[in-house]
Amino acid sequence: MIEIQDLRHTFAIGKKEHERKVPVLKGVTLDVQKGEIVAILGKSGSGKSTLLHILAGFMTPESGSVLVNKKETAKMKEEEKADFRLANFGFIFQNFQLMPGLTAFENVELPLKIKGETVKKRQAKVRGLLEKVGLQEVADHYPNELSGGQQQRVSIARALVTDPPILLADEPTGSLDSETEQDILMLIQSLNQSLGLTFVIITHDDEVANVAHRQYRLHDGELVKGEKRHAI
Amino acid sequence: MQFKDQMDFIKQHMKRNKLRVATTILAAMMGCAFLIILASVGFGMQKTVTDQVLDNQIVTEIEVAGREDGESITDKEVEAMNQLAHVKAVTDRTSPNAEAVAKIGDRSGFAATSTVDMEQEQKAGLKLAEGKIPASADEVIVGYHFAQNLLTEEEQKKADEGEEVSGGFAGSLIGQTFQLELTPYEGEKEAATWEFTVSGIKEEPGKDWITDNTLLIDDSWAPVFQEELALEESGRQVLVYADDLQNVSTITQTLKDDGYYVYSVTEELGSMNMFFTALKAGLIVVGTVAVLIASIGIFNTMTMAVTERTREIGVMKAIGAKPKLIQKLFLMESAAIGIIGTVLAILVSYGVSMLANWIVPKIIMTSLGEDGEGMGDVNILISVIPWQLVLISAVISIGVAMVSGWRPARKATQIDVIQALRQEL
Ligand SMILES: Nc1ncnc2c1ncn2[C@@H]1O[C@H](COP(=O)(O)OP(=O)(O)O)[C@@H](O)[C@H]1O
Ligand SMILES: [Mg+2]
Repeated sequence: MIEIQDLRHTFAIGKKEHERKVPVLKGVTLDVQKGEIVAILGKSGSGKSTLLHILAGFMTPESGSVLVNKKETAKMKEEEKADFRLANFGFIFQNFQLMPGLTAFENVELPLKIKGETVKKRQAKVRGLLEKVGLQEVADHYPNELSGGQQQRVSIARALVTDPPILLADEPTGSLDSETEQDILMLIQSLNQSLGLTFVIITHDDEVANVAHRQYRLHDGELVKGEKRHAI
Repeated sequence: MQFKDQMDFIKQHMKRNKLRVATTILAAMMGCAFLIILASVGFGMQKTVTDQVLDNQIVTEIEVAGREDGESITDKEVEAMNQLAHVKAVTDRTSPNAEAVAKIGDRSGFAATSTVDMEQEQKAGLKLAEGKIPASADEVIVGYHFAQNLLTEEEQKKADEGEEVSGGFAGSLIGQTFQLELTPYEGEKEAATWEFTVSGIKEEPGKDWITDNTLLIDDSWAPVFQEELALEESGRQVLVYADDLQNVSTITQTLKDDGYYVYSVTEELGSMNMFFTALKAGLIVVGTVAVLIASIGIFNTMTMAVTERTREIGVMKAIGAKPKLIQKLFLMESAAIGIIGTVLAILVSYGVSMLANWIVPKIIMTSLGEDGEGMGDVNILISVIPWQLVLISAVISIGVAMVSGWRPARKATQIDVIQALRQEL
């Protein structure tokens, strides 16, 4: 489903005269199968987000290739990338990234609007998903009227609404307390099991890694296969 | 994204910043209203002057004096002229090549006789002081001074000696039957006489030095006169009437191209129209400056909107919105500001225009005092807003709004997703 080959990326930091090259990814190779949950662990600043951003097509790597469903996003034009993301990816962010001016319902509806779906289709789909993540009661609430856990559920529902095969999550529980974190992890697990969705989860938190089928550790720009810890 | 959703999207955004959007719309409205009102003064002046000239009625008249190749104009050609665009009527008057004297009782007088197409004459704007357009071929229309011109032999003598003769035929000529005696200027035929009944009397000529003793007879009589009197070629006057002053030049040109000798009074008015066109263009340019100033407001508002929504735009792009869609949404927002501003401006402009047309002439009249009396019948229009002006202003105003929204919209499409997502909530 996802094939990452020898991915390398270097950031240039500082002003031109004092420019310093910081290699963040030094040849990352990773395969993700359909229906898998893969966790990528690593210390803050180890380049996890950079890896995800390249995978999502938000940035172009220096070298190496990323194939998603056999397609290389790096070679696409911006317009094509947008369509590709809409069709293939759902995003779950640490900060939820909800639209403050839209209700929970409207936030979940947004990708379908962008896609150009009819009102009728949208209504049914959004209602069903809000129920699935347990938010039917607060559908009309604005993000600032919801708790962190609820906001992340909205964001997960939004990620699922276009039925993408792959979900990319960057620190999905990074802003949540441990109890809420467990709820969200359970939700991810159940979505993976019931819908066969593929997850790539990026985290610095070992708890999160526990729900993964495979876990890797990004260290010094290289990906090391990690030991799966025993569940509690 | 469906159009309705796009509309909802910009509506929601505009509502979020009501005050800022409202003041920007206000500025756009003022700029556009200034443009319309300023230019409307040019249109008003032109209309006032043009109406004044048009009142003399003959400015839409184009005389077709003949053909360049020397051939005489045929009936078919006259018919073709009538088919030209913006031609209201074509009058085709033929004067028999004979001396025409009208006689009623012991009175007689010269009659400037023409055979005409009554319908065309009516279309061309023939106005009657009395009576009606002839219903049958035996009925005729006479000039305003026709009756006054019918003198007894005695009176005629006096007139010939240079004495002032007043009176002529007393009472109304309407319904009166008279004899028309035609004596050919050339040839062997004797004079012949026909009887006609007066159906209508033309209105008084605009200028008081004109004596109108016309006699208009239905053109079915033309061949009759021709045959009975064995007339030589008769004099023919073809006049083409345009529906509006502004179309006269086009028609004049067409007729020239078709090989006619043409004369229209409005050819001389060409320079006047050119002056007004230049004036109006100048006023529109000056007015556009106001629109441009307002556009700075739109540019600012949209730039701020893009900056404020950087994170949201980033999210939109991340979840699959194309840069084109983002650009479109922002362009639509600036266009919406332009459109709402323009619509309000049009309403305000009509209001101001009506008010100015009502108040300013009053002020002028008052300041002129007694001297203003002579101006009594002059209809002064300070401001006229034709639909063309509304259209031009709307295009300028909405166009400028979209152009000023262009850069902010471009900026929105270039927002980097990663940077945007990193922004604090
Ligand atoms: N746009 C950028 N320009 C320069 N350096 C960057 C940029 N983005 C990330 N970095 C650097 O790359 C490294 C990896 O960042 P990131 O991928 O966000 O790490 P993580 O998500 O693992 O915390 C960090 O040292 C960060 O400072
Ligand atoms: Mg990170």
